[in-house]
Order: sequence, then C-alpha cells, then structure tokens
Amino acid sequence: MTTTATQPARLGPLMRLALRARHANMFIVLVLALFVGLIFGGIMIVVTTPILLNSWSHAFSHPGATIASSFNTVWFAYEQLFQGAVVNFHALRMLIDNPSKVNLATVLTPLSGTLTYATPLIVAGLGLAIGFRSSLFNIGGQGQVVAGGVLALLVAFSFHLTPLVQVPLEILAAMLGGALLAGLAGVLKAYTGAHEVIVTMMSNYTMTLVLGYLLIQSLFARPGARDGASKAVGATGQLPYFFSHLSASLLLNFGFVIAVIAVIAVQWFFKRSKTGFELLMVGQNPDAARVAGIFSKRSIIICLTLAGSLLGLAGMLELTGVDHFITPNFGGSYGFDAITVALLGRNKPWGVFFGAIFFGAMFTGGEAMQAFTPTNIQFSLAQVIQAVVVFCVATPALLIEAFRLRDGAHLVSTTGSGGWL
Amino acid sequence: MKLELRGITKRFGTLVANHDVNLVVNPGEIHCLLGENGAGKSTLMNILYGLLIPDEGQILIDDEVVTIRDPKDAVGHGVGMVHQHFMLIPVFNVVDNVILGSEPVKPWPVIDYKAAAARLLDLANEYNFEIDPQATIENLPIGTQQRVEILKALSHHASVLILDEPTAVLTPQETDAFMVILRSLKESGKSIIFITHKLREVLALADVITVMRLGEVVGVTTPAQADERKLATMMVGRDVNLMVDKAPASPGEVVLDVRGIYVEDERGLTSVKNVSFEVRAGEILAVAGVQGNGQTELVEALTGMRRPSAGRITLNGVELAGEPVRRFLDAGIGHVPEDRQRYGLVPTLSISDNLVLDQLDDPRFRRRFGRNLKAIKNNGVQLVERYDIRAQSEEVAVSALSGGNQQKVVMARELSRELKLLICSQPTRGLDVGSVEFMHRQIVAIRDSGVAVIIVSSELDEVVALGDRIAVLYDGDIQAIVPPTTSREELGLLMAGARAEQVTL
Ligand SMILES: Nc1ncnc2c1ncn2[C@@H]1O[C@H](COP(=O)(O)OP(=O)(O)OP(=O)(O)O)[C@@H](O)[C@H]1O
Ligand SMILES: [Mg+2]
Repeated sequence: MTTTATQPARLGPLMRLALRARHANMFIVLVLALFVGLIFGGIMIVVTTPILLNSWSHAFSHPGATIASSFNTVWFAYEQLFQGAVVNFHALRMLIDNPSKVNLATVLTPLSGTLTYATPLIVAGLGLAIGFRSSLFNIGGQGQVVAGGVLALLVAFSFHLTPLVQVPLEILAAMLGGALLAGLAGVLKAYTGAHEVIVTMMSNYTMTLVLGYLLIQSLFARPGARDGASKAVGATGQLPYFFSHLSASLLLNFGFVIAVIAVIAVQWFFKRSKTGFELLMVGQNPDAARVAGIFSKRSIIICLTLAGSLLGLAGMLELTGVDHFITPNFGGSYGFDAITVALLGRNKPWGVFFGAIFFGAMFTGGEAMQAFTPTNIQFSLAQVIQAVVVFCVATPALLIEAFRLRDGAHLVSTTGSGGWL
Repeated sequence: MKLELRGITKRFGTLVANHDVNLVVNPGEIHCLLGENGAGKSTLMNILYGLLIPDEGQILIDDEVVTIRDPKDAVGHGVGMVHQHFMLIPVFNVVDNVILGSEPVKPWPVIDYKAAAARLLDLANEYNFEIDPQATIENLPIGTQQRVEILKALSHHASVLILDEPTAVLTPQETDAFMVILRSLKESGKSIIFITHKLREVLALADVITVMRLGEVVGVTTPAQADERKLATMMVGRDVNLMVDKAPASPGEVVLDVRGIYVEDERGLTSVKNVSFEVRAGEILAVAGVQGNGQTELVEALTGMRRPSAGRITLNGVELAGEPVRRFLDAGIGHVPEDRQRYGLVPTLSISDNLVLDQLDDPRFRRRFGRNLKAIKNNGVQLVERYDIRAQSEEVAVSALSGGNQQKVVMARELSRELKLLICSQPTRGLDVGSVEFMHRQIVAIRDSGVAVIIVSSELDEVVALGDRIAVLYDGDIQAIVPPTTSREELGLLMAGARAEQVTL
C-alpha cells in the first residue's frame, strides 16, 4: 500500500562517515570542547600580547604576515604547553641519541608532574562523582580532604612502624576522617532533612578553622616553624617515589597506583555491587527505588560516607605523596577542583580519571608555557583554556547547537545518564 | 491545512523505527494512527513535531516542502502536539501554563496576565471547554489537565493537532467528554492525528485509519470498511482473541486478609475508610470504581508504600501493616504500579537491570561478591523474548523503549517473581490489543498456579473480563463485592454510589 515518493539518496562511504560524525556522542563533544578551548585560548594570546595586537592594526597592509606571526606565537605557546605537560620532544631526541639516566629523567619529568598533580584529584573527583551519581550534592570536598589529611598525619607521626603497616594505617585513618565528616551530613539529611549542600559547605569553613587551631597546638605544630607548618611525616609513612633513583625531581609516587585502584573499585561498585546499584536507583528515580523496597535514608548515609572516605583518602595522598606536612592552606583548592573534574568526567570513573589528568596537564603545562615562551604568556592562560573546555563539556547543548550535531538530547543532562563505560 | 509525510525513514542505530512512511492528513479530518507497541507511531509524530530529525523523507504542508528542525518550527507551521506524558508545570496555574514560552508582554517586560486570561477564556468558549484559568494544575483531574494541553496548542493557532495516546490515562467518563471535544475541533476545521490502542474509539471517531507495523505503514482504511477484529488482525498480523478465555476459579485458602483499614492521602484526608476484604489463593479480585475513590491509596497501603492509620493487613497470617516496603516484597507481594514511569522504572538503566529492580537480593541474581551480571543479562534476554519486548537488545536504556514496551518490562518483572499475591494497577495501560491478550493470559495463568491476584483498573471491560469477584470502590469504601456476571448497568450504579441493597442483583 505504500508508494515510494522519493528515492532515498545513495550515499558514498565518506559522506556517510561525515554524517556519522555529526551524530552527537561524548567523544565528539570532548574533541570539539578541546578545539573550542584552544581557539579561544589562541585569541586570548593574540589579544594579550601587545606586539601581536599592534600587528593587527596593520593587518590590511600585510595580512599574510600578521596572520603568520599570530599563528606562530600561538603555535609555539601550545607546543610549550604540550611539551611541559606530556613529553618534551627535544629531550626525547637526546635520550634516543644518548640513553642515560639523566636524559631519561628529563623525558619523564613533564608526565610525572602531570600525574603527580592529578593523583589526589582523581580520588577526590571519584568521591564527589559518587555523590553526584546518586543526586547528592556534596560540596564539602575541601573539608573532607582536610579531615583525611589531619587524621593521616596524626597516625603518621604517632607510630613508626614498617611502611607496609604504617601506610595502610594512614589510609584507614584518612578515610575514616572524611567518612565521619561527610557521614554526619548524611545522617543529618536522612533524619532531619537538613540539606547536604548547606551542611557540607559549612563543614568546609569549620574544617578550615579546626585546622588553624590544630596547627598551633603542640601536638601538631612543628617546633620553630614560622609558616604554621605541622610536624612532618616520617620516612616510613611516606608513599614511595617510583623514579627516585633517576632524579629527585620525579615526584610520581605510589599514590597514583592507589588512585587507579580507586577508579577500578568505584567502577566495580556501581556496576557490580548491590549497594552501588541501589545508590544509582535512588539517585535516578527515588520513587521507583522506594517501590522496589530500597530504604533511602540508609542509601543517603552510605553514599555520603563512601564519598567522604574517598575525599579523605585524597587528603592522605596529598600529604604522604608530595608535601609530607600540613600547612594552614593544606589541600589547595583540590576539594573544589574535584567538583569540576567530576563534571568534566561526567561522573564516570574513567571519565574522572582522565578529567583529573587533564587538569594536571594544564597545570604543569601552563607553568612550562609561562617559563619558556619569549613573550611570557601567563600561566593563567592554561586555566582559561581549561575553563572553556569545562564550560563546553558542561553545556553540551551549546556545542550541539553550534556544530549542528544531531540527536544530542541524551547528552544534555549533567548527571550523566546512560550506561557505564 | 493539508499535511503530508513522504518517505519518512528514521533509524536509531541499527533499529529502523520508521521505514519509508507516507501519510496524508486532509483538513478537518480525524486521522487515527494504529499499531503495535513499538511500531513507530510516537517516533513518526515526534518527527512531525520537530523533536526528532528524520534520516530521510520530507514533510509537506499544503503541498509545499517545509523544514521542521525543532518544535518551534512545528508550531510556526501550525502543528501542535499533546504528549502522552503531559508537559505542564504542576505548581503553575492554567493561564501560566498556557502562555509559558509565548508570554504576552505589555509594556516590556511586564506580563499582561489579564489579556492572557481573557484570550484563554475566549478560546475555551469557542470550543465549549469548561476551565478555571486560575486553578493550579496539580489540583486538576487528569482529563482537565489534558484540556489545558489542548488549549495551549490551540492558543498557538495549531491547525493540525497531534494527540499521542490521549485516552490511556482518562476515565471512561473523561473519554466521553474528550470525544465530544475532538468532534467540535473537527467541526471548526482542525485536522487531528490521534493515536490510541482502543479500537472502539478508533471506530467511533476516525475518518481515516492508518495502521503501522514494524515501522512501516501496512494499510489505510476507514471505519466503514473495518471492524475491531479486522483492525486487530491488520495491526498484529494474526488473529487476536479479544475475549479472555478462563476457566472458573478454584479458590484455595485465604492469602490476603484486610481488616478495617483506614488510609490517609497526602493532604491528610481519609481516602480509604474501614475497608475489609480477603483474597484467596487462585482467584482474581478486580477492583472497580471511578478514579479518585481511594484506589490509589488502597494499593499503596497493600504494598507498604503508605502506612494505614488503622486496621490490619495480614498475608498468610503474617501481620504487615506498618512494616517497610521491603517486608511486603519479601512476603511475596508483586506490585505493578499505576504510573510506570514514576514508580516502576529507572529510565536511565538498562532493560535487564530494570527487570530485577526489586529482586537484588534474589540468590539467582547474586554472586558471593556483588550482582551476578551474567544471570541478570540472561534473565533479560529470556524475559524480552517471552514478553515480546521490542528493543534492539536487553542492554538499551528503558527510556529508549516505546510506552507500551515500558509497561511490558514492569509486567514481566513482577510476573516472573516468586509470588503469593500480585497487585496490578492498570495492568494493560498503553498496550496494543495483541499484548493485552497476552498479558491477560499471563495473569490468568498466575492465578491458576495458585497466586492470589488483585487487579485495579478503570477499564470496565478489563474488570469484567479478568475478575472472579468484583469489588466496587466508592468514596473510599467497598460498596459491594459482586460476581463478574453482574450487568454493566448495575456496576455503573454501584460505582456511582448506590448501595448494594438498592441495586437489584
Ligand atoms: N531514543 C531512542 N533510542 C533508541 N530506540 C528508540 C528511541 N525511541 C524509540 N526507539 C525505538 O523505536 C521503536 C518505535 O518506538 P515508538 O515509541 O515510536 O513506538 P510506538 O508505536 O509509539 O509504540 P507504543 O504503542 O508502545 O507507544 C521502538 O522499538 C523503540 O524501542
Ligand atoms: Mg508511543
């Protein structure tokens, strides 16, 4: 009964591939986000470099030269960014020509810096992602990182056992610290309805003050320190460096392995474990979870406790992997950066992993860019690029519209729907 | 306005949801779209409304090709749509909802509510709708909410109105009122595309009927040329038994015993008052009644979702009232909730996962550590096959399923559990005739295996067809429990509040 009104157009394979690429998926969104970030950063470089900006005022007389000089500057800056974050080609060539310990260390330095910076961020991002996946907005990452760091430090200088016992003890203490703080927010939410955003936000301030107090107590304070630093973690409590035999500047440590284990564990937790599945249910549709007999109060408490324990662990990794002591601004902005990392990774474990590494790369690469570009391009430019990328990933609707991708509706939700990687 | 779809093809990955579909809708025509669950009706309509972009094909309005990329384009071309799941904001009032997105402003940026309300009333009068512009949506019955949706489409000067299963959620009374509305819309020259699974409505309303199967148009006919049987056969591709075959029940001992329960709703009003009844193993108790007479609260109490304020609920002698939901499930109570999307499914999870949602502790689906993904997947494969759930695979998210197939997932899950008592609210809502037949047979089979069954349905046909006894609920109380041989007139009187002794039985 059907009549063919129009003959469907025959498409060549290339055309079909092009059409396929216009179907929105997360990979394409990420690539486009990076692309937009780099373009935007490029414009910023031109605008903020006086010589280039001047050359554009003569753009009509020498259009070619103007574009070329701008392009070269931007290209050079991004080359520095990349080489500072991933691998330095110059050093690589030296290593190939002349294999030696020193050359190997130079090749490894950028990546080591990136991964070292990323390590606590991976674990903290995972902790926050657990909450977001379950629709709980734990923004108390900062306080939980501090709680974990403080308890780990307490264990670190209270005992001097063999590393095989000492380090796990520190881990447990740190996880307990974060778990107690976040779990408190969970209990309050479950039994009194107190909103977790308020409670966890307040706990950040509380922990900052508690930390300030502790650092002037003789128990924690390092005798004679003027910067308010604490006692240090002893040698047996530190996470071992992987490449200390090559160079003292290679800071990549065993914490990275712990972070990878945490990624796998969280992946397993949501995919395989009953509790993780229940958290997903409660997060995605609490009404259906209730009909299926899931006790949501319990889920809320479990969820925040687990999230907190990972954030506490992040504090421990920061303490025992890099600094080895605590200062009043311990943890930097890890607790908040981790929120962005979770968002960037769309709350999926491996997404968080790569999101954190991207942050690490922009940090170490940004420093290199500032140091090695002749026009002295600022470190904050890397952060501008990072911000644009995050912005694009957080609002896929914008990219989908701008690049006219098809059927992107399933990407336009920040909690990240769909299956696990 | 004449509307034409030409050669529409839409693929989701490897699945072809629409294949070379042609459809012509003439001005002032009620065009019924009929087809199995997953045949591609909603997909086609979403394409017409700009929610999906077709892979191939064209949309023509008055014989001119138009591009519709999003609903704004569609509205601009005079196409309006009322979705099966309403898109109203519950806490806003009627006017707010109707003007949302096209607020009249005068002077900018002040919204001119007065003008908006006046326009709305004019429009409502034109079509004889009764509506209070200031009423808050959440306080309105479903049928009235639907009128608001229709008004909203009309206020954008829609000349083609798409209605996707509008009657699935309506009571029979509301459906009658709705049919009157459709006819008056037609009188005024609007074209209507109307999707439903209820063949009786199709025959009563349609000018033209297009039947779809597996993404293709398989026939175009008119009510004059067809009857229910013929339509059913065209849809499903085989003969469908529109009646339920069942042997008389042979009830065993009492499974569920309900004694004097009182249940309050959210607002604290007592909506179930002193209800007592029992259900025996191997029988089906059907609960009839006009929506809003306490059915929802009664079911919520029987499944542990709502704690009765007084009374006892015992299952095989075990007291359950006041216990958590988990205990009800563990005691062997299966529950098919009325609102499947809100209470029955987690749309972002896969079909397999949704098929074990309330069975996470079942040893079949557990391993020593964690869930047994292999068993869960196998279970998914089996149930998808057995219940004819139309999907690319058991791994896709439930949100990608058609409405009827979502319902099948919930039914499949509950029917496949180890049960003592099965409680189904609107078990066949949104199912095509073939699936209704299948589900009815499954429910009877469960009964025959010795499970006690409670069916709550607003379809009198279903109540009479399935019930071994019929309990009529009125104003929170059971008016009478009568045999299924009771005439419809008597049932109607009971449902309207007549006492049993006033009705000659
Ligand atoms: N977003 C999507 N992704 C993948 N598959 C989809 C999506 N939407 C619909 N489908 C598939 O397309 C087919 C047609 O679905 P559609 O909703 O159009 O059916 P329908 O005719 O409206 O059925 P019902 O009567 O059950 O509502 C189904 O097999 C469905 O699983
Ligand atoms: Mg549909």
